Amino acid sequence: MSIKLIKKGLSDRIEDLGRYGYQHLGIQPSGPMDYLSAQLANAILDNDLNNPVFELHFPASIFEFEQTMWICISGANFVPVINEKSVALNTPILVHPQDQLRCLQPLEGRTAYIAFKGKLDSSKAWLNSYCSFQTTLNKEDHFTITSDPVVAISFNPFKDHLIQQVQTSLFNEHEIRFIPGPAWNDVDPASIRQLMQADFSIDAKSNRMGFLLEGPSIHLSEPKQYLSSAVTRGTMQLLPNGKIIVLMADHQTIGGYANLGQIILVDLPRLAQLNNHSHFKLSITNVQTAHQLYRAKQSWFKH
Amino acid sequence: MQNQRPLFQIQLLGDHAIVFKITTGGKDGIDQQLLAFNAFIENETIKGVKDMILAYDTLTLVYDILIFDANPYLFASQLLEKYIAVSASIQPSKATIRLIEIPVCYDPCLGIDLQDAAKASNCSIEALIQLHSEKVYTVYCLGFLPGFAYMGDVPKAIQLPRHTSPRAKVLAGSVGIAGKQTGIYPMTSPGGWQIIGRTPLKIFEPHSATLTLFKAGDQVKFNPIHLELFHQLNAHEDVD
Repeated sequence: MSIKLIKKGLSDRIEDLGRYGYQHLGIQPSGPMDYLSAQLANAILDNDLNNPVFELHFPASIFEFEQTMWICISGANFVPVINEKSVALNTPILVHPQDQLRCLQPLEGRTAYIAFKGKLDSSKAWLNSYCSFQTTLNKEDHFTITSDPVVAISFNPFKDHLIQQVQTSLFNEHEIRFIPGPAWNDVDPASIRQLMQADFSIDAKSNRMGFLLEGPSIHLSEPKQYLSSAVTRGTMQLLPNGKIIVLMADHQTIGGYANLGQIILVDLPRLAQLNNHSHFKLSITNVQTAHQLYRAKQSWFKH
Repeated sequence: MQNQRPLFQIQLLGDHAIVFKITTGGKDGIDQQLLAFNAFIENETIKGVKDMILAYDTLTLVYDILIFDANPYLFASQLLEKYIAVSASIQPSKATIRLIEIPVCYDPCLGIDLQDAAKASNCSIEALIQLHSEKVYTVYCLGFLPGFAYMGDVPKAIQLPRHTSPRAKVLAGSVGIAGKQTGIYPMTSPGGWQIIGRTPLKIFEPHSATLTLFKAGDQVKFNPIHLELFHQLNAHEDVD
C-alpha cells in the first residue's frame, strides 16, 4: 500500500494518455482532460509521459501517502496543502508516510494532476491502460506503487522553460480554434455569423464526456438527419435545442448529431482548464496549422 | 469505367481523424465494399492509426499526429487508389459475414415495455414478438456503451420512438427498440429505448479476449425463449 484515498472527491480519476484500439467496439479512449498538464507533471519527475496520474476535479479527494516518494502536482491551482502546509505546483515534492494531501480552493483552472515516481500495480490496468473505466476514485481505494529508490529529481533550466511554456499556453492564451466539419455547410448563415462573433462560456452541466457551450442558439438552414458516424475528442455537436456540445475525454465513440467541426487537439487542454465563468471566442483554422501547432507543443517535452 | 462515381468520399474529422464515406449502396445493411475496405486497411497495418471505426456508411481512421507524418488528404486518396487496384481482383464475399443467434425472453416481466409497445403498434404481443424475432438484423455500428450494437432495420409496424425521458436504470441484457433500430444493453445503465425482452447472454465481458459479442457487419437473429430457460441461462450478475 502506497497511496490511500481517505476522502472521495467529486469525480477524481486515474488516467494515462488513453486506451486506443477499441473504439470500434464502443470502448472510449478516455485519458486526461488536460493532457498537457498530465504530461508536464510526469516530465518534471523524469517519468514516461504516459505514466498514470491522478486527475482531480474540485472538490478533490484527500490522499494519504504510506511511503516516501516523489510526487508532482500540475494543472489547475486548487491550493494544495500537505499536512496543512501549502506546497508548490510544478515542482517535485518528497512526501513521507502519513502525509496527507488535500486541496483547499479552486483558484485557477478546472482540473489538477498528481504524478508520482514509481510503478503503479498492474492489476489496475485494463486493455493496456490505467484509465478509470466508467468509474471514479472512491474512499478506501489503495494504489500500490513500486517506488524507485528515492533519488534526487533533476531540476534543470529545460524544465523551467517547459513549465513556463505549458503554463502560458494553458492560462494566458484564450483562443479556441476549430476545423469546420461535415455539417458546417448545413448551418444557417446568420447562425454562422453569431457563432464566429459570440462570446462562449462553459455550462455548469459539463463533465468529462462533453462541455456544453453557453452561447447563441445555432440553427441549420433546414432540419436534417445524419447517419451516426465516429466522433472524437473535440467534436462540436449541434444539439436539437441549438446548443453546442464539445466532446471531451470520455466521449462516446459514435454520434448522430450535426457535426459542426472539431476543436483542434492543441487547444483542448486550454478549453479543459476554463472555469464556468470564463469567456472565449471560436475561430477557424486548418489541418496543416493544427498539425504544426501540435507537433511544436509536443516538441517542448523533448530535450 | 473512367466516369464511374468514386467509391468513397474523403472527409477530414478535424486534425486527427479521416472519414471514408461510401457513395454507393449502403441502403440495406453495411455495404460489402465498406467491410472489404476495412479488412484491407487492417491488413495494411498503417503506422500511427490508433482506431478504425465502422458505422453505417462510414469508416473512420483515428491517427496520432506525431507518428502519422503525412498529408491526410493525400494519404487517404493514395490508400483508396491502392485499395481499388487490389479490390478489382477480389470480390467481397458474404462468406466472412457471421450470423449470431441470440436467445431472448420476451416475457412482460423482463420486456417491461412489451405491453405498451404492442398497444402502440396496434398488434398483439405475440405478433410483435414474431415480427421482432423473425428478421435477420445487421449490426451497423457499436457505440453508446461498450459492446452496444445498433442493429436494423426493425420492421416498420413495430418501429417505436424512444421514451421522452430515459429510465434511470435499464438492466444488462435488455433488448430494446428505438425507431428503426434494435439493440441490447451490455450493462445496466440509464436508457430510453422501449424494452421488449432480455437476453441471458453477456454481450460485453471486460476480461474476455473478444470483449464484445458483436462487431459491425455481423448478422443477428433473435430466438424467443421461455422465462424458465432464461433463468437457467442467465449470466448477468443481477440475478433476480
